[in-house]
Amino acid sequence: MQAQVEQWLKEGKVDIFIGYKNIDGHVLPHFFTKENIDEVKDLVVGQAHYSLEKVATKVAVDHPDMKIGILLARDCNQRALHVLYVWNQLNPNHIQTMEAFEASSDLEQPEVTAPYKQKMGLGKSMLPKDVEAFDQAERFSRWMYEFSKCIKCYGCRNICPVCFCKECSLEHKDLVRAGNLPPEIPIFHLVRAVHMAGRCIDCGLCEEACPADIPLRLLYRKVDEIVQDVFDYKTGTNPDQSPFSVLGEKVVLEPTPINE
Amino acid sequence: MDYKFVPSVCPYCGTGCGVLFEVIDGKLVGTLPNKTHPVNEGKLCIKGWNMHEYINSFMRLKQPLVKAFGRFMKTEWDEAIRITADRFKEIIEKHGPDSIGVLVSAKITNEENYLAQKFARAVIGTNNVDHCARL
Repeated sequence: MQAQVEQWLKEGKVDIFIGYKNIDGHVLPHFFTKENIDEVKDLVVGQAHYSLEKVATKVAVDHPDMKIGILLARDCNQRALHVLYVWNQLNPNHIQTMEAFEASSDLEQPEVTAPYKQKMGLGKSMLPKDVEAFDQAERFSRWMYEFSKCIKCYGCRNICPVCFCKECSLEHKDLVRAGNLPPEIPIFHLVRAVHMAGRCIDCGLCEEACPADIPLRLLYRKVDEIVQDVFDYKTGTNPDQSPFSVLGEKVVLEPTPINE
Repeated sequence: MDYKFVPSVCPYCGTGCGVLFEVIDGKLVGTLPNKTHPVNEGKLCIKGWNMHEYINSFMRLKQPLVKAFGRFMKTEWDEAIRITADRFKEIIEKHGPDSIGVLVSAKITNEENYLAQKFARAVIGTNNVDHCARL
């Protein structure tokens, strides 16, 4: 892997390679360049969970013609790239990827849910069908319990690899005024859930970043399920147009009625 | 073209969450939580997430200000420390050392807190030492 990256940088196949390096015992994202080619031998994969694609979009904003190499450490990285291609955030011709899947973005082992959370809320290892087993009132109260824990850090939005809107409605001065309280619970969560339709690639970074242990992944999985039912579109599986990207000449996917 | 990630510690509260600063061409453009840091395990609060904003803020105070004739004037550190020391001396002579209190902080290190209480007890001569976290 290191040898190939070194070759890519030397040949000019990529100008910059975004991978991981062990710094002070932490596996951290790192930019590898031709100028510091010696560092390539320190390239590692590890169990790192950072969104290198999001980093790449920031680089692409400054240098649109730069050829960027990205390490794909998990299967969700590829899906994230597909979504970013669909939404014109990255140019697939300028991206080189290196697959080194060491970890899957699926839950490695089901977490043991704390007794109080079991009684009041929803566990992280639950699937949408497990939640649907509860009746509507209970489902609502369980979700509200989870949302009410939110400390409004908005880490879920900040860490999301497919959250790239230039003007986030959370920061829009006409919607949320400076000095006013942020949107009430659960408005933010539900608005974000709707925005995740056709975008969420199920990487689980939002859930990992949540200091309040809200099962966000479960919520977005349900949203994704609806997208699959209605549009027959599996987010991130291909770099072609999504049913939600309305710009462009042709409509690739027609909506189908929901099967009740 | 100079991109790098700089591991650091959040300066806001005493918790000490590990962060990663995203630096592009010498300018801080983003903050990420350090996923493997033992303190925060990849989580941050809203203040930590937006640290790069205050570092680049035009409102940021980069120089000491001394209040003279009812207005804040920009000055140098040596000058500011000299003025503070002179005023401390004046107050101690006039009202005694117990008219001064030292408030230390959770944001500074243990050693700096030690120095601050040493300053209060040995230099000023008061036991008026308190801490912002002692609510």
